[in-house]
Amino acid sequence: MRRAVEICAGAALVIGACRKAPTPEQQQAALPPVEPDELRPLEVFAAIADPTHRSQALFLEAARVLLHPRCVNCHPAGDTPLQGDEGQPHDPPVVRGPDNEGVPGLQCGGCHQDENLELARVPGAPKWHLAPIEMAWVGRTPAAVCEQLKDPKRNGGKTLVQIVEHAAHDELVAWGWSPGHERVAVPGTQAQFGALMAAWVELGAACPREEGP
Amino acid sequence: MTARSGPPILLLRRTFLAGLGGALTGLALGSRVGVAGPALPPAVDEAVKAEAAAEGAGLRPNLFVHVTPNGGVTIACARAEMGQGVRSSLPVLIADELGADMRRVEVVQAPGDPAYGDQNTDGSHSVRGFYDALRKLGACARMMLIAAAAVRWRVPASTCEAHDHAVHHPATGRSLGFGELAIAAAKLPVPQDILLRPRVELLHVGKELPLLDGPDIVTGRAIFGADVRLPGMLTAVIARPPVVGGRATQHDASKTLAVPGVRHVVPLPAPQPPFAFQPLGGVAVVADDTWSALRGRARLEVTWAPGANGDYDSSEYCEVLLAAVSAPGHVVREVGDVVRALGSASKRVEATYHVPHLAHAAMEPPVAVVRFDGQKCEVWAATQNPQAARKEVARALDIAPDQVTVNVTLLGGAFGRKSKPDYVVEAALLAKATGSPVRVQWTREDDIQHDYYHTVSTQRLEAGLDEVGKVVAWRHRTAFPPIGSTFTDTTLSVPGELQQGVLDVPLAIANVRAENCEARAHTRIGWLRSVANIYHAFAVQSFIAEIAHARGSDPRETLLEIIGPPRLVGLEELGVQSLPNYDQPLAEHPIDTGRHRRVIERVTDMARWSDREQRNRALGLAVHRSFLTYVASVVSVIRDPEGRLVVDEVWTSLDAGTLVNRERVRSQFEGAVIFALGHALYGEITMKGGATVQSNFRDYRLMRIGEAPRAIHLDIVDSDGPSGGAGEPGVPPVAPALANAIFALTGQRVRELPIARSLKV
Amino acid sequence: MKIHLHVNGKAHALELDPDMPLLWALRDHVGLTGTKYGCGQALCGACVVHLDGEAVRSCVTPVSRADGRAVVTIEGLSPDGSHPLQKAWVELAVPQCGFCQAGQIMTAAALLKKNPQPSEVDIDTSMAGNLCRCGTYLRIRAAIERAVAEKGKGG
Repeated sequence: MRRAVEICAGAALVIGACRKAPTPEQQQAALPPVEPDELRPLEVFAAIADPTHRSQALFLEAARVLLHPRCVNCHPAGDTPLQGDEGQPHDPPVVRGPDNEGVPGLQCGGCHQDENLELARVPGAPKWHLAPIEMAWVGRTPAAVCEQLKDPKRNGGKTLVQIVEHAAHDELVAWGWSPGHERVAVPGTQAQFGALMAAWVELGAACPREEGP
Repeated sequence: MTARSGPPILLLRRTFLAGLGGALTGLALGSRVGVAGPALPPAVDEAVKAEAAAEGAGLRPNLFVHVTPNGGVTIACARAEMGQGVRSSLPVLIADELGADMRRVEVVQAPGDPAYGDQNTDGSHSVRGFYDALRKLGACARMMLIAAAAVRWRVPASTCEAHDHAVHHPATGRSLGFGELAIAAAKLPVPQDILLRPRVELLHVGKELPLLDGPDIVTGRAIFGADVRLPGMLTAVIARPPVVGGRATQHDASKTLAVPGVRHVVPLPAPQPPFAFQPLGGVAVVADDTWSALRGRARLEVTWAPGANGDYDSSEYCEVLLAAVSAPGHVVREVGDVVRALGSASKRVEATYHVPHLAHAAMEPPVAVVRFDGQKCEVWAATQNPQAARKEVARALDIAPDQVTVNVTLLGGAFGRKSKPDYVVEAALLAKATGSPVRVQWTREDDIQHDYYHTVSTQRLEAGLDEVGKVVAWRHRTAFPPIGSTFTDTTLSVPGELQQGVLDVPLAIANVRAENCEARAHTRIGWLRSVANIYHAFAVQSFIAEIAHARGSDPRETLLEIIGPPRLVGLEELGVQSLPNYDQPLAEHPIDTGRHRRVIERVTDMARWSDREQRNRALGLAVHRSFLTYVASVVSVIRDPEGRLVVDEVWTSLDAGTLVNRERVRSQFEGAVIFALGHALYGEITMKGGATVQSNFRDYRLMRIGEAPRAIHLDIVDSDGPSGGAGEPGVPPVAPALANAIFALTGQRVRELPIARSLKV
Repeated sequence: MKIHLHVNGKAHALELDPDMPLLWALRDHVGLTGTKYGCGQALCGACVVHLDGEAVRSCVTPVSRADGRAVVTIEGLSPDGSHPLQKAWVELAVPQCGFCQAGQIMTAAALLKKNPQPSEVDIDTSMAGNLCRCGTYLRIRAAIERAVAEKGKGG
């Protein structure tokens, strides 16, 4: 889905050299490469001079966490969580239930404990449950997720400061970095993720442009 | 009736093994070859009778029936209960023949001992194998009780009758309860000729009977293999070689022994091929409790040498099987000249079918408990074959089999897995090595990864049609690693296996040939509920529907046409020299196409086959005779809102001859539908580097309640004929009926199972 | 670690590894074998018990989580098999091998406690995690519906 990079790679460095605002891909492409299991440190974003663009780029980096399978699997667009890295349906077949915690006889907490189990391979973290349907991220673009996160009607009534706090310190969020048993962890660390989110907010919480056709 | 497990009994050992056919089983347990013994228990066992009489214990004419002086009646069940309902069925034959009040009958599970006759509960033959024998056992006791009353009343025995737990003399209105007569009866001479009641006097046989163990099961009191607890018992879990025939070259148990509760780490000997019932070897962790053993095994470090099967890749092997059926094989059935007829046919229809390895995956993984004091050995096991377990344990411990008592618990499912006593031998070896009673507990991973798998198969079918579309030629090639490979070095099947859907299929076709092509095994092949019928019925019944499509005719009409008119199909028509016929003479259990046709007609009526198009229903049909029972099934498939294929309704018509417990027959055929659908839709065991890829239910998928059809309709043909099997015959027609329904719905013909490989299910 | 388990109304003080799954504590240490081991990965439901009234899979629930809390197993669902589900299960002869049925009944009991009038979909959804290899699903559905009807009558 990556568009061909137009204009010059140095567009991010030279303000005004390009007629259009850089696309998200262009912004990402201008950043130094990173290992799949790492997050880019804050410093590299300083190279993006325009604060809005920098804010967008920070969010795109944070979206590598948000849209990672460990996170989106419990932010499904339907009523069943997903498993694995290919978005397979959860087995045993469980459903959301009225309070996002499953149904009688098959509640999330009936199997998922406060921490990962190795022999049993069952992942665990405190208060394991599904994100409410309005926080569905599966199949969404970073731009769409950004809008959701900023919308109090869809983010559980949180302020941006609370969003950052949630990202940096919530225990269930933390699980993404220690998923246990052969599950691929979310890149970087929770601290880095929190820092990215804080920096994004500080620069105006700009959402990336929606990708075009 | 109430239930409990019975005391051990030691008697003179005689060996016997039934199963898939003499040729096969003669190979199965080498040292048994040439040793003959009775298949059925005698109606009177003088030694047992005399012992009970001497002790004042009442009337015990044989091991199966005991009438105590207080009126209680104990009946032994010598066949293993794995859900097929044998404990709720066979004792009723005895009780009804005796005239006992069911509420005062207690059923006791017999230990493994040839004195009970054949105890290998496999091959769907409990009822037909024991129907007459059990009646005689009960009749004998009845005759002796009547004789005792006749003596007491000084009347002819012929004027007395036994029912409602008493003997009655209608002419004078006198009655004596069984208990009051027991001691006197025990002293009487044994009747010379056993007289059976008229069938109409068997009050409960053939009816819907209560589930004997139901109350215990729903309250958690029922005892399965892992529920047996002995003082000082240790629990073992075993790290087994990932590849069959592999072995541990070294192991480091230092972390294992550091786990609290771990007592011993015991290497087990590697088996030598052919593997038969030998344990797989590996390294055992023996601990105070299950959790310690599991933790201990998780910390064990073992280096495995894979052995000869280390290169086995099941997806590559598909190509090997395909090549095998693409060339002539050994002719096992022949009528006419199929090569010429195919050559001159106006139209040819060809198809190749593939069914993968399957795992038994009973809900209870294999488990056994053994206590050994150096001389005598006691076993508690969820085993289908306690006599084989006894023999193998004796051999492993180097003691005489009559020093081994095998107690049979309830089995949490089996489907053929628990006929193989390898896991019982493991427990015996560890009991010997540790000096403690040991329970060997297989985990689910062990069960899925180290099963005796249902074999993998590829079949090629070719039909030649003449200018009006009549089938004039039929060639069936089948390649599969045979069960015999587990017991000897062989790549070809035997009639006991080929009779399951190759040799015994009635075909009103002038030129027929069946060929068995060689296939080498690279894992342990076992037998799984309905065995070779699974893949042969899948291919044959799918192919007939493909023929129907090729010539534009209705599948039902085509099926009836190919089966041909009602008749008894003999060896000459089949084109075979002999047919094991599930160990029954063809004269008593013929291949009767009238019965095939009847179940086809009944099931299609029930499913309203003829107006399915108007009602917009995609239906598939199949018929199959196996284990002497005729079964036809219709399956209906739909698409759910997400576009997934779903089975919404199934109809089955069955003709199993005389039934003992109609209710358990129904449950078996209901369950067989779910069992077979699960396999057809998702069931697949694959291997890479010789090791099984799957390990638990997340990757060996079984049907769940939400996927089950909303209705299963059964039709039972009422019959007084000889009994056929009930446990297995419901399975084979379901997969092809499903594939045929899918074709009707989608136009897509699935020739490779599981269906999940090619379609969204 | 000293773990206090209250099982079916009876107190047990046991010295156990806090990570030991409740299943093994019940079977090997409390001596209640009605709860079964089927998979060890919370996939099959044979191990379902009630923990403070909620259905949990004991094969993955550490005893530390059950410490001081009320556990009910199949043996304690009723004193004498009189729970409407148990009665329905026997009347309809639901079990075949019976191995999965304790878990099935305990899950169904948890469902009926929270939802005394479940729809067909509710039943399939709540029971979806309980495997039965013998294929008794249609009778399980029917037995739950019968128990619902009986409870409705006050029976």
